Amino acid sequence: MGRKEDNIKRATEVMHDREKIRNLAIAAHIDHGKTTLSDNLIAGAGMMSEELAGKSRVLDFDDQESARGITINAASASMVHTVGTDDYLINLIDTPGHVDFGGDVTRAMRAVDGCIILTCAVEGAMPQTETVVRQALKEKVKPVLFINKVDRLINELQVTPEDMMSRFEEQITKVNTLIRLFAPPEHKIDWQVSVLDGTVAFGSAFHNWGITAPYMQKSGVNFTQIFEYCHNEEQKELAKKAPVHEVLLDMAVDKLPSPIVAQKYRIPNIWQGDLESETGMAMLSCDSEGPLSLMITKIWMDPHAGEVAVGRIYSGTIKHGDSVWALGGAKSERVQQVSMMVGSDRIQVPEVSSGNIVALTGVRSAAAGVTVTRDEDATPFEPIRHYSEPVVTVAVEPKSMKDLPKFIDALRTLGKADASLEVSTNQETGEALLAGMGELHLEITVYRLEEEQGIKVTVSEPIVVYRESISSNNTGRAFEGKSPNRHNRFYIETEPLPDDVTDALREGTFGDGAVRNKDAKGIGDRFAEFGMNKDLMRKIYAINGTNVLVNDTKGIQNLHETRELIIEGFNDVCKKGPVAEEPLMGVMVRLVDAKLHEDAIHRGPAQTIPAVRKAVKGALLRSKSVIFEPIQNIRIDAPNDVIGGVTREVTTRRGVIEDMPIEGNTASVIGVMPVAESFGFSNDIRAATQGRAVWNTENAGYVHLPPSLFHKVTAEIRERKGLKSEIPDELQYTD
Amino acid sequence: MCSGAARFTMTDGVGGPGLWLIGIGPGDLDHMTERARSVARECSKRFLEGYTAVLPPSEEERLESVVGSWEKLMRNGVEKPNKLLKLASKRPVALLIVGDPMQATTHIDLEERCAEEGINFHVIPGLTATALAVSLSGLQSYRFGRQVTIPFSAGDYLPTSPLEMICKNKESGLHTLVLLDLDPTGMGLETPRPMVPGEAVALLERMGERTESISSSLDQPIRNWVGMLLSDLGTEEEQVVSGTLGELSEIGIGYVHAFILPAEFSGMEESAFERRRLPN
Repeated sequence: MGRKEDNIKRATEVMHDREKIRNLAIAAHIDHGKTTLSDNLIAGAGMMSEELAGKSRVLDFDDQESARGITINAASASMVHTVGTDDYLINLIDTPGHVDFGGDVTRAMRAVDGCIILTCAVEGAMPQTETVVRQALKEKVKPVLFINKVDRLINELQVTPEDMMSRFEEQITKVNTLIRLFAPPEHKIDWQVSVLDGTVAFGSAFHNWGITAPYMQKSGVNFTQIFEYCHNEEQKELAKKAPVHEVLLDMAVDKLPSPIVAQKYRIPNIWQGDLESETGMAMLSCDSEGPLSLMITKIWMDPHAGEVAVGRIYSGTIKHGDSVWALGGAKSERVQQVSMMVGSDRIQVPEVSSGNIVALTGVRSAAAGVTVTRDEDATPFEPIRHYSEPVVTVAVEPKSMKDLPKFIDALRTLGKADASLEVSTNQETGEALLAGMGELHLEITVYRLEEEQGIKVTVSEPIVVYRESISSNNTGRAFEGKSPNRHNRFYIETEPLPDDVTDALREGTFGDGAVRNKDAKGIGDRFAEFGMNKDLMRKIYAINGTNVLVNDTKGIQNLHETRELIIEGFNDVCKKGPVAEEPLMGVMVRLVDAKLHEDAIHRGPAQTIPAVRKAVKGALLRSKSVIFEPIQNIRIDAPNDVIGGVTREVTTRRGVIEDMPIEGNTASVIGVMPVAESFGFSNDIRAATQGRAVWNTENAGYVHLPPSLFHKVTAEIRERKGLKSEIPDELQYTD
Repeated sequence: MCSGAARFTMTDGVGGPGLWLIGIGPGDLDHMTERARSVARECSKRFLEGYTAVLPPSEEERLESVVGSWEKLMRNGVEKPNKLLKLASKRPVALLIVGDPMQATTHIDLEERCAEEGINFHVIPGLTATALAVSLSGLQSYRFGRQVTIPFSAGDYLPTSPLEMICKNKESGLHTLVLLDLDPTGMGLETPRPMVPGEAVALLERMGERTESISSSLDQPIRNWVGMLLSDLGTEEEQVVSGTLGELSEIGIGYVHAFILPAEFSGMEESAFERRRLPN
């Protein structure tokens, strides 16, 4: 039996010993060496050849990822690690560092209990690391820290041991600040990381070595030796004395919680059901004999097996042939294959039990975020919140109409697999609109269509998705919207929501969709915590994205009967605002009065919906409509001699440079840039620096479009959509 | 009469420009009054309003021979009547309406618009299905409460006020005339597809599920309520039958229907109801 096969056998044995399982993710910025580290861990555990580690990148199993050198999918791998005489099963979930795939990061965090925060010794923690760590902490995932690329610090930047210590100190403080800010209250203190506790490691994933304080004691390796090994180009020796996989997996076993420990405090955070119930108790204790509770965190297309759903089992055991419900699905489904993941290998096993990560086939109605159980009526897990909204759209259509059915099917799967991708298709023309996190996100999606599904497609130029909002209000000057038969009238006032409320809405704090009567009070009270008027917010009708609809009327007979229709009219405007039919953002819509026809037949959908739509649009225009554009944080690192070209590229693209730190020969440009100006940036920056720049972006919300661009941009959007180029006047909505 | 001002009138002969709303009766054009016919013929342009009610196809064919050439006007033409009004400000224009012109609220709006724009406005009443319903039911006309219409439901949208009104009428000892929606799309764009008795009963039942016990009438399953089904009133196919709503909902013939849901009977009402029973 080869070492790999032996490991698989041991893995399936230790899988049932739940105290000896660690589910962990690596959270890092792009290019900080995450995939290299993951591969080293897998190789160290005997799952691939050590020579290949750091070179082959097992976790990057999409060709696309290897070609681009970045990780796209949160693939997972299980491995066995031995401490003393005990075997431990480490289930490692890889996460993408590129923010275009923010949705994947959040989902991966749902599956794990601990995470290794990976930072770069040279560059420090990056804005994106913060995003990822925040996502981990919100899911109550315990962090430890690994500072990578220490060899470069020693050899390239020639730092002294004292320098190095103070640099580490700085990074540790930064991470601890994040933990203090975002960790659950009960863990703000005991989750702080420190060198002495052994919750901080440093080393070089590329050169296969790493070290922690406890490992220094165990192995006798000290700081001076590390400096010597590095200076003398003897990192191979160091890798033998302190192999990175051993150090980090030791740390994971010792410092990160087992599912038994973690589920006690994680379950109440992610499951709203009755904790005293049989299912609740089974999940809290990670009971493999209890009812099955599984959450799908990822879907991907296997060329042979079709859709594979990967998820975390919180209680119970899943077997081949089981009949399960993907909650929300129309019928129960039969589990075909049950597997564990080892890099790009899916190893079929007879069963997988609670506390583990499992890959399933046959459960077609599963999608990322869906709960799988045996009981159709079980309480589902909290929906996974992801913080990113699509900001870029492309239109895609198959080159050949005969591919149309396959194309529509492939898009359905893509939409299921990637919650940060919005897909809308026109079944007749075959044109589809893909809305995603950025240009790269959409390029990769198109690549998947073409290469994995073999459908050749035509793709439009990328288009920015703007947001419509208002800069003032029409309080006291309600806008009257009349129904086509003029017997029903709705009076609407709009006002901008405070920024913190808009942010909280975006994060899903208050939910989304129509608010049921019985939930209105509770949701209203949560708005009140943000300083909003409690009595008013308790009359909430609906939430759509970052907009809310409130019924601020009193005693209007039959109004409750038109509630669904009023919400529908509101939803229509949230999707397509009055200025350029772009989505609405951060607006409170108050229905302040209404006149309804006595007879229901004269206030049906065809009367009420257009009346509400006109009233809301008119109110928005009266509240001074504005356009917001998406912006992104940028950081470009380049040698000093070409940095002039970088600043020029940034400023000609309406970018704002906020900081330009210089470190030895490398300068960095840190700032913000509108997404609209970012298309083609990578080519231009490459040209301006002879390909010597490294750059990253991260979506950073929305800012007012400069007034000087307002008319130009709105006219462009309107013409593209086949609308008259002039922005409508509120008079168009009075009759 | 002030010049230009709209005055409600049903007697003016056709002289100058203006809008004549002419009731043509519930279906069979033989129910159209002599006055309605002559006024319609005298107008220089005629429209048939096809949105709030429908004329049987055979009668539509016959209409030209009765009043002269005509065009059909759907919802947009009625709700956004600019064209119609512009025409009426220059010439005498007839809008032919199934039943009586002023018994559909949409048309009161036309009176208002004409008043705003100083267009002469006239009404020629017509016989209505509602009047026929009361008269053919054998029930006493003074014992009817507010009439209701059952709308088609759309997704989650299903108003319950029609059922609430029926119950309220019942509790006050009043019968309810129940009209059925004509257009499941609610858009009024195409030829209507009137609701059939089975759909109406099912919708009443769904309303019953949505309303908390508002009335003791709901103690009895809606299917067991007694009622009268009036189909295609004022046409050759006219039919009036009584029975339980369960029985009536099985009826598959007829085109446009209405129900009467009676309160407790008084006097000779009960025997009138029994005489209309479905044959077993």
